[in-house]
Parts: sequence; structure tokens; C-alpha cells
Amino acid sequence: MKKEISRRGFLKTGIAGAGVMAVSPSVLTAAALKQETNIIYRTLGKTGLKVPVISFGVMRSDNPGLITAALDKGITFFDTAHGYQGGNNETMLGNVFKNIKRDSFLIATKVKPVTERDGKPNDQTSPEKFLEMFKLSLSRLQMDYVDILYVHDVSNPELLEYKPLLNEVIKLKKEGKARFIGFTTHRNEPQVINAANADIWDVILTQYNYRLAFIDELKAAVSKAASAGIGIVAMKTVAGGGWLDRERTKPMNTTAAIKWVLSNPDIHTTIPGMTSFDQLEANAKILSDINITATEQTDLLASLAEPGLICTGCRECIPSCKKNLPVPDLMRAFMYTYGYAAPSMAKTLLADMGISANPCSDCDTCTVNCTRNFAIREKIADVTRLAAVPAEFLT
Amino acid sequence: MSQDWQPYLLSSLPEKCDIVYTSMNRKITAAIILAFLAIPVLSQEMILPELKGFKKITNYPVFVPDNLWDFINGAADTYLALGFVDLHVAEYKKGKDVIKLEVYRHSDPVNAFGIYASERSPTYSYFDIGAQGYKVEGVINFFTGNYYVKLRTYSEKPKTIQALETLASRVESMLAGEKKMPEVLSLFPGEGKKINEETYINESVLGYSYLNRAFRANYQTGNDNFSIYLLKSPSAELTVNSAKRYLSSAGMEPIEGESRYVVDDGYNGTVFLSWKNDLMVLITGLAKDQADIADKYASQILK
Repeated sequence: MKKEISRRGFLKTGIAGAGVMAVSPSVLTAAALKQETNIIYRTLGKTGLKVPVISFGVMRSDNPGLITAALDKGITFFDTAHGYQGGNNETMLGNVFKNIKRDSFLIATKVKPVTERDGKPNDQTSPEKFLEMFKLSLSRLQMDYVDILYVHDVSNPELLEYKPLLNEVIKLKKEGKARFIGFTTHRNEPQVINAANADIWDVILTQYNYRLAFIDELKAAVSKAASAGIGIVAMKTVAGGGWLDRERTKPMNTTAAIKWVLSNPDIHTTIPGMTSFDQLEANAKILSDINITATEQTDLLASLAEPGLICTGCRECIPSCKKNLPVPDLMRAFMYTYGYAAPSMAKTLLADMGISANPCSDCDTCTVNCTRNFAIREKIADVTRLAAVPAEFLT
Repeated sequence: MSQDWQPYLLSSLPEKCDIVYTSMNRKITAAIILAFLAIPVLSQEMILPELKGFKKITNYPVFVPDNLWDFINGAADTYLALGFVDLHVAEYKKGKDVIKLEVYRHSDPVNAFGIYASERSPTYSYFDIGAQGYKVEGVINFFTGNYYVKLRTYSEKPKTIQALETLASRVESMLAGEKKMPEVLSLFPGEGKKINEETYINESVLGYSYLNRAFRANYQTGNDNFSIYLLKSPSAELTVNSAKRYLSSAGMEPIEGESRYVVDDGYNGTVFLSWKNDLMVLITGLAKDQADIADKYASQILK
């Protein structure tokens, strides 16, 4: 006889479930997630806030249970943004935190002003609009204030000096709506960080990971800012979302990647994104142990050998090419072809550069040193084949 | 570790695309190129529509998974997790007024719905565009087929708002794909369902890395608020395996022939688990003594 789902069925198994509750691994999971001992805290610059080295980048999480679990684990600093999930991310956090003592956690949100594409302010960079968005964020969070308000996505130093916006965020700090103010930067980071006035800005949120081509320059900028008393929060610590390839076949040692970031004492905390208890468990272990093991060191070195698709345009390769080929532009053509599926764009670029098919054919060995370990010769051979293909065949 | 219900994986880019041209193999070459271009996970060129009276500016690059961060920063992770393929951006300028158009292409309509639904609010003003779309304060967002489309202007001029709507309509008409919501959504019972709150979670449902691809709907009946997660797997066997794994993680031994359990799930609270064939239902937000409500809804879904 076909078995129907019934109230009795749920009740019966409910009793069965209750019978094993005492040893339920879900309960054990909760127990295992009890606060780590010996949590490593760092002081977030002149804010004086004591932050655990692992904080929570909430952007992708929509599970209130995960937030509560993180709190129990000792993760007390949560990072969201006005724009994440169209505001639903802030709303979810607001619902979680409304019943939690306000001084038991820290929350940061970000509001993005309108700018030109190059990050410069324009006549649409309206402080009124910024304020309106921030008020909406507070409303979604169900809070009277946030601990840190970031100006989101500063890629041009001019925005840091833009008085109408600057005056607005300073006013919000004076009013107590934001205990501290900062900015996030995703492009031109060293230049932007170097331009930050420590008398104004309390915290900087910047990408920071071991795979960045300009890490030395960034490290110097971070050091300067930290020395001036600015708190430094690192994001994108797990470059590539935890995978070494876009096909997601090569997982990264994410623990090693985060520990590497924390090996710099100028980085005060990190905000890895988490969507599962597994990730929380793994990251929580770092709360009390930031020492990179020999295995983790090996994994980091091995992963550095994995190239991506995007040439960072560092141009360090140019002097090493015996034929003085415009290697970064050729890598751009490769990206047009294989990344954008737009070989016509690549062909146009090749034609503009006067590049024929396989310009490396008369070189015995390739002397080009790529900072991203691209197989330059192979990629050039692949993409320059387009030079021989009639344009009418290409899209 | 079980590989069932893993999130959608992007296919590999071709390692090499052999496009050597000779007069003899011209047709073959064309076929190779076209095949190469047809690989669905690769980005594609797109000609965005014109808008009378506005100057179209398309000097943004086509954003692909490797550089989406450059455009939307931390929000990119959510898009990438939902099979993001490429993004085309254009600005339409008339004097100081600007309309910004963003066309996100995802790997399939379910993922496009997923990203669209993650950013919508039931409070917005919904209207007939694409599979579903809404307007709110200078914004029109909608999804259709594999596409999630976002348009925005900061202008409050009625003519510019009208132009925004015209542009949205033109973009809708040029995009391929069926204008319909994911079929699985029709399995959710209507009684008490909160309108326009359905979402799609493609990985780590309830925080478990082995539970993936769930649609979630929120309900209110009387004073009770609860959520139903509906997971449709490729096979009944995979459903059973995932359910057993979940039970096992909760310290419960599956009983032969039994397919409904009450799980005391730590941070997720009480979870009512049931399954039939390729469908699994998880209900959260109800107390243990509200099994009758859980039963009623699960029965309607797993009929």
C-alpha cells in the first residue's frame, strides 16, 4: 500500500528524533561551535576596537543560523553593504541582531556614492542621496548606529577629498550614527590608501591576498596607513573564491590563504565570506591559530603556479621578451578570444599591433617571465592564429 | 564524500581552439569557430538597443567571472555562485541625465531567477516585464530566460523615467529565452504563502554544504511564520542519499521505509524533513508540536 505522509508519521519520528537528541551531532555541532579559547584579537587602529582576526563577510549568507553560530564561536564583527542582495542582506542581519545585546557585536556597512567610471566625483555624487541610502541601511539593520560606515568603492583619491561627501560622513560620525568612518577600495588600492588622511578616516577595507601582482606596493601602503593609526580590514583574502581555476576543479587551501594575510600585523582583521557551517568551522580554527604550517606553505607556493585568465598588465614581462613583443596586449587579445568569445575584437587588436601568426616561431626558448606564470609562448601561439582567419568568419 | 547535488560547475574553456585557416578547410574552420563561440559558458557580444534622444555609451568592457569584482565588488560572489557568465553595461546620456543598463547573463534560467530573487523585495511595485520585474525609485529590474537585467537612473524627470521604461521594454524584447518563472515554484502550496518572497539557494542550504539547489518560500498562517525549502534532485536515489546524510549529521538513524522526520537541528532549530522520489522538503520555523502544519504542507507538495 502506498504510504502517505501523515501527522502521525511526523509525530512518530519526532519522538524518535527526540530520543536521540542528546547525542545529536546537530547539537554536537552547536557544542563544537562554542567559543574558541585563546582568540587572537587585534586593535583596529585608532578606533581602539578589539577585533578578532577572523570577522564575517556576510555578503552571500542568508542563513540567520550561521550568524548566530559565528557569534557563539567568538566572531563578533560582521561586514555587510547597502547593496548586498538588494538590501536583503542588511535586513537579514537586522532580524538576527534585534534581540542581541548591541555592544556584544560590531557591524560595518557600506554605501556607494555615484561617481564617474574612473572613480572621480561628479555632479551626481550627491551627499543627500548617500545619506538617504545610509538611513535606509540603518532602517534595514534596525539599529540606531553602525560601528563602521564605509564609503564603498573608492578608486580615485579625488573622492576622498570631495568635500560635500566628506562633510556628510563626518557629520554622521559626529551625530553618532556611525561610530567610525572609513572607505573600501577595489582598484588603484596603493594610490588610494596612500592618499588617505588619517585625521579623517578611521578604517580602510582593502583587498589583500597572496596572489595580487602588486602586493609589495599594497603592503607598503597598508603599512603607512596602519602606522598613521588607520585600522586595516582585509577582504578578498581568498582570491578566486576558494578556487584556483574558474572551472572550480582546483580548490585552494583557504586556511593557508587567510593565515598568509594575517601574517602581516598591519592587517587587523579579515572578512572571509561564509555560507556553510563547514566554512565557519574551518575559519573559526584560525581565530586562535594564525601560524602557517609547512603544508600550508607548500600549498600556497603550489597555488602561485596556477595562472588565471586575466593579465594584470603589470608590464614586467616586456623587458624580458627578446622580440620586444607587446605581451600584455597579446594577453588582452587572448582574453578577448577565450574569455569574451569575441575573436573579432582580438583580431582587430592584433591588426592594430601589426602582429602576424605565431610571432614566436623563430625563438628557440621563451625568455618572458610572467608574474602570473602564464604560459606566454603557448598563449601567443593560440591567439595569433586569428591573424590568418578572414574577418568574415569571426564574430 | 558524496558528490550529489553539487552546485552547477562552469564548463571548461577549451584549452586550445584550432583555427588554422586554409582554403581547403574553410568550412571546417568556420564550423570550429562557430562551435567555439557557441560554448554556453563563454561570454558573447551583445548589441544593446538605442534610445531616442539619448547617447548610448558602451565603453565598458564585457565583464566575465574573472573581472566581475571590478564592477560590483563584494556582491560579485553571489553572482558567481549563481552561474554568472557575462555582463554587458551601457550608459545612456542626455544632458545630465544618465540611465545605466546592466545585462547579466547566467548559465540557466534557474540561476537567473536566483540572482534576481536574491535582490528583490515584496514591497516593490511589480509589473509585466520578462518573467517577472519591478520598479522602485528610478530602478527597473527584471529577469527573463538566462538574463537578469538592471536599469537605473537618478533623474526624477518624468521623461527620463519614461525613457527608462521604454529601454527596459526594448531590452526585454531583444533577449532570448522563455519568460516564465521556474516550474518548481508551482509546487509550493498557495495557502499562506508570502507573495514574491521565493528565493533560490544553490549551495549550502541551511548551512550544509551537501544540501544544494533549493527553492525557498516563506509562509504565514495565523501567528505562525515558517519557511519551506524544496530540493529537486536529478534522481530519487540522490534525494534519499542527501536525506540520509542530513539525518546522519543530526545523529538519527534512518528507519527503513520511513521518509519523514523531525530533526533537532542546532542553530536551525526544529526542521521537518520529508521526501518522495526526487523531491525533498525541509520546513523550518515551526515548533516540534506543530507537526500537523508541517504535515499538511509537505503532503501537498509530495502528493
